[in-house]
Amino acid sequence: MPMASEFELLGRVTIGQYLPTGSLVHSLDPRAKLLVVLLLIIVVIVSNSLIGLSLLLLAVLAGLAVARIPLRFALAGLRPMLPFLILLALLQVFAIPQYSIGATVIWHRGILTITDRSLLAGILLIARFSIMALGLSLFSFSTTTTELTHGIEHLVRPLQTLRLPAHEFALVVNIAIRFLPILAEETERLMKAQASRGADFGRGRRNFVQRTRLLLPLLVPLFLVSLRRADQLIEAMEARCYLGGKGRTHLIRLQERLPDYVVVAGALGLATGAIYLSRVNADRLLWSWLSSHL
Amino acid sequence: MDGAEEPLIRIEGLHYTYQAGTHRAVPALCGIDLTIHAGEYVALLGANGSGKSTLLRHLNALLLPTAGNVWIAGWNTRDATHLRNVRTTVGMVFQVPDSQIVATVVEEDVAFGPENLGIPEDELRQRVDWALSTVRLSELQHRASHLLSAGQKQRLAIAGALAMHPRCLLLDEATAMLDPVGRRQLLETVGHLHQDGMTVVAATHNMAEAALTQRIIVLSEGQLALQGEPRAIFSQIETLRALHLDVPHPTLLARELSARVDGFPADLLTIGELADAVATYLGEPAGAAI
Amino acid sequence: MSRTTRKIVIAGVMGAISIFLGASHLGFIPWLAGAALTIMHVPVIIGAVLEGPWVGLAIGFIFGAFSLLQGAIAPTGPADVWFTNPLVSILPRLLIGPVAWLVYKALKRANEIVALAVAGVAGSLTNTILVLGALGLFRFLPWALIGTIAVTNGLPEAVVAAIITVAVVAAWKRIETGRKGSTV
Ligand SMILES: Nc1ncnc2c1ncn2[C@@H]1O[C@H](COP(=O)(O)OP(=O)(O)O)[C@@H](O)[C@H]1O
Ligand SMILES: [Mg+2]
Repeated sequence: MPMASEFELLGRVTIGQYLPTGSLVHSLDPRAKLLVVLLLIIVVIVSNSLIGLSLLLLAVLAGLAVARIPLRFALAGLRPMLPFLILLALLQVFAIPQYSIGATVIWHRGILTITDRSLLAGILLIARFSIMALGLSLFSFSTTTTELTHGIEHLVRPLQTLRLPAHEFALVVNIAIRFLPILAEETERLMKAQASRGADFGRGRRNFVQRTRLLLPLLVPLFLVSLRRADQLIEAMEARCYLGGKGRTHLIRLQERLPDYVVVAGALGLATGAIYLSRVNADRLLWSWLSSHL
Repeated sequence: MDGAEEPLIRIEGLHYTYQAGTHRAVPALCGIDLTIHAGEYVALLGANGSGKSTLLRHLNALLLPTAGNVWIAGWNTRDATHLRNVRTTVGMVFQVPDSQIVATVVEEDVAFGPENLGIPEDELRQRVDWALSTVRLSELQHRASHLLSAGQKQRLAIAGALAMHPRCLLLDEATAMLDPVGRRQLLETVGHLHQDGMTVVAATHNMAEAALTQRIIVLSEGQLALQGEPRAIFSQIETLRALHLDVPHPTLLARELSARVDGFPADLLTIGELADAVATYLGEPAGAAI
Repeated sequence: MSRTTRKIVIAGVMGAISIFLGASHLGFIPWLAGAALTIMHVPVIIGAVLEGPWVGLAIGFIFGAFSLLQGAIAPTGPADVWFTNPLVSILPRLLIGPVAWLVYKALKRANEIVALAVAGVAGSLTNTILVLGALGLFRFLPWALIGTIAVTNGLPEAVVAAIITVAVVAAWKRIETGRKGSTV
């Protein structure tokens, strides 16, 4: 029954997908993993070096191996994206005019032109997405949401001394994650109430107007219920003496160990390397070296 | 005040009006005078909208009086410098189990209150462990809080209040959304706490629950309507009906029986008492024969 | 009642709704050519209108960070490829709330309902324009295509966002200022 499947889906609403294998990666301090993810994202944006990004991809694959995550799990998200990915890469290669200005033409037929720059842009697009997909999958396979919130809270804590609302931000994230199961439950309740009044939430494709008509009587009450529950939570927090982050102590204390330092240092080295390779245009150097020696 | 015998809760001339926008004012409490002493177990009864929640919210300074005063252990709730003292003295458990849990892990939720108080780490751990064992949730300390049953969530809420070492617990219809098993376990926990000296004030619609207390306070349209021991209150069936309140089923049954059976007591409160009375009634002739 | 506590909780709850709409796919409305409209940014607008620009910023960050994460680990369409870049998925989303709040604050005096509707449209268009603008700047898409998407997706999203914002905030404020159900 399509309705039932949609209800079940709500029960499984989670951020990411934890896969306990008890590996070294799983036991790393969540702060260390968050830092590595942050470095990964920065490098993927900043570095234009195919060599640098390839090194990164190898490191992520090595991480998956150490974490004992089967590759087919990690690739599960990537596989359905292949057609889009190829399409978008082709778009980069052929349709963005900026890439042909001042570039070397490698191939030309009719209106289609491939320049060295546009080809590189297409390949980089695929490389970047693969790194992000595999890297963040590795993170979410090896980190529970509880570890995630602990990690965020401890990581931003030093920012408090800079007068940034770090504690407040960590609490916001914590409450967001806390509320997900409540929302799933409330939505299920609302959907059942609407279904009993004849609404059909089957998964079949419907057009815009139909879908919107179906969603509004669900979404508006969902917002209102959530706001009411927010009021209740505010009262409960104040009754328990919440008066801001000042002077709070903490039950949970994260303990960093040697492997955490090693991993962060390694990631820092790799990140610096990948960005440096991009700065010195290593790809072009390698290309010209290869073309003159072969 | 003479200081020597300061009651735990003292309310004088309490008025409260919800300021609903600029145009509509909703008077919710109209002149309440009330004292509650340390160690009492009090039930707060009244129809929906009679002002129970509003009154309880005044007892830990979630609301401040429009007129009149509330003192908790001698501190006026209007005095902002004693806000922490007031809120640690009086812990609150609300009606909706899910909306009062802040953390995603059981033990971290218990720690939320004392963390706010700045309790040092080792004492924090002791308080959490003690509070969880008091409500018998120790085995679930690492469980995700949303996976608990409704009854367990309410016991978690009690643990969260207990971890602040309060002298008094306020329960605002805390059993309303529980199944019978969850309700029974919660009431057992509260009963034990009261035996150990905790003051308890419980708003409820459940008359069996009210029958367990030492004093019943009945609110009606923001005013004190009745006050007294459960046995005295529940004997006034007609008055209670006029206030849209029920009487415990055993009391009703005892009434009917005493009207028909000579010497059967009319003022029974609980099923236990009723069973005893029936046993005595049936047993006596047999006993007399021996 | 402390304003800060309220801001924190509303930011968290609205952030949760945004994540929930994405994770459950309830927040996607099928549209032309297999593309989908999204309403994941509506909680950002509502949070900003109710509690101000910083709350809007925080919810926008949560919305953006989640769409980055989802784009990487559970992608479903072409847009997810770009959303793995935080300059596309996070940075533009930070401004949805502040823009919606500014518009609402400017127009509130004249007419509250109109202010809400325009704030919904403005917040939604901020999302559309900045995200698509980032795609153009980073040369992910040709500008001609971006213009088309801005019209075909951006406009209906703005309409839906305005409808939901008005319906929710008007109802909530009446509830808050009128008679509020004491017992749920
Ligand atoms: N937040 C509020 N705003 C306006 N009126 C309220 C609010 N909360 C309660 N009231 C009103 O105050 C009165 C007392 O309510 P309450 O204390 O919740 O009663 P009870 O808990 O006994 O059901 C009712 O008339 C109710 O409508
Ligand atoms: Mg009530």
